[in-house]
Amino acid sequence: MYGRGIYALRDVSLVVEKGEFVFLTGPSGAGKSTLLRLLLRQELATEGSVRVAGRDLAKLTPGQAQAYRRAVGFVFQDFKLIPTKSVLDNVGLVPRVLGATSVQQQRRTFQVLKWLGLQHRMNAYPLELSGGEQQRVAIARALVNEPALILADEPTGNLDPDLSLEIMNLFRDINARGTTVLVATHNRDLMRHVGRRAITLDHGHVVEAS
Amino acid sequence: MTAHAIAYCFDEALASLWRQRVSVALSVLTIAAALLVLGGFLLVTVNLDRAVSRWSAAAEFSVYLHDDISSEQRVALNSLLDRHPAVASREYVSKADAAVRFRRDFPDLAAGLADLAQNPLPASIEVRLNPAKADGAALEAFARQLMRTGGVADVRFDRRWLERLASIASGVRWTGWTLGAVLLVASILTVATVVRLALHARRDEVEIMQLMGAPIGLLRGPLVVEGLLQGGAGALVALVALYAGYVVLRGRFFAVLGPAFESAAGFLPFGPSALIVLVGMGVGCAGGYLAARHVR
Repeated sequence: MYGRGIYALRDVSLVVEKGEFVFLTGPSGAGKSTLLRLLLRQELATEGSVRVAGRDLAKLTPGQAQAYRRAVGFVFQDFKLIPTKSVLDNVGLVPRVLGATSVQQQRRTFQVLKWLGLQHRMNAYPLELSGGEQQRVAIARALVNEPALILADEPTGNLDPDLSLEIMNLFRDINARGTTVLVATHNRDLMRHVGRRAITLDHGHVVEAS
Repeated sequence: MTAHAIAYCFDEALASLWRQRVSVALSVLTIAAALLVLGGFLLVTVNLDRAVSRWSAAAEFSVYLHDDISSEQRVALNSLLDRHPAVASREYVSKADAAVRFRRDFPDLAAGLADLAQNPLPASIEVRLNPAKADGAALEAFARQLMRTGGVADVRFDRRWLERLASIASGVRWTGWTLGAVLLVASILTVATVVRLALHARRDEVEIMQLMGAPIGLLRGPLVVEGLLQGGAGALVALVALYAGYVVLRGRFFAVLGPAFESAAGFLPFGPSALIVLVGMGVGCAGGYLAARHVR
């Protein structure tokens, strides 16, 4: 709930199974991004609880919350890449700084970049990349820690239809490897193309769960 | 924190300092000005302490005698001096010797002395003290005892003005600490402002790092290091400026204060110099931390 009695989400009760691919859809302001922010623990629910793998996110200490975020991949519409860091650093910075074995970490980063077709761009900076490449870097960053859960908020919002399809196929491939994927989008064509469960939100309520 | 994390904090801090080098330069100069004031007072007090110490070691009584002092009174006076533990040696200066010294020390006034029918200068005993046993209060009492001894006209005791000098040095030291503390608080706020500007410029990056699960130490670390480096740089600038000022003053004014002061004077020793650098880095750290607290 925001101030002055305005609810961003109300009476939302959802269960997403491990390994599922779920779309969150609905018009702008429906509460899709808020739900993802709750799952990334950027915000805390004022009522009720949000549980991931059995853990109540509201009860995490700040240190545990950061450790939780390292175990969750996220992808945003505006990519959220650090413009002053190379592709390699954007993908592998935090694990490297936190002392992940250098060779092991480099191998994993390179594998992910290669899988996403970015191995030849790893020394480039985000502003030197196309929109599709930037979104693939963001996906590489989300994948590098081998997360069990990936959250994507309008990941194709800034991309043309062909690139959008390419990105959505990537999410389908990621899900095929066992990762749970939650994608917020209002692009129904893409949802139809992927053909997975969709939860429709409107004014903070679940109006349809197919 | 791992070595990688520390290296990351320094890399990020250096990059950020370079990005906003103009405001950083102003911040460094502010810290340098504050530490220059503090260091200047420290330099003055260190040298006053040195001079007091040097002069204390050479401190002596001058016991001036009446012209009509009897030989019994002289013997009694010498005996009194010889028995006191603080007296290292004594030397009798006759009226004639005093006149010779006067002519040597004040040649311009020597003619005036020659015009006088009688030598007006008194005979005296110069008493050299043992600094290790020269306790101030005991010597004061001894000086009063000498004044009451027959045949003694006056007693001049160097320690009195040395104590006044030491008191002045103490006053200068406290003034320096007070003024320095005020300026250092201003420096902390300046560093905090500059680091907050840096934080504002990097807010997107910090937000992304937060979303990537970077621990709070990794988000705040570069900001604290930024302050630390600014403070350290300010301290080094202050020390260089202080040394330059010292060299200029030594050439122009130290000789005027006398050879004893000139030979005792020197630049800040390693301890106080290191203290200035540590204070600078501490001020920078505090400023950086004030700004870093906004990252949660």
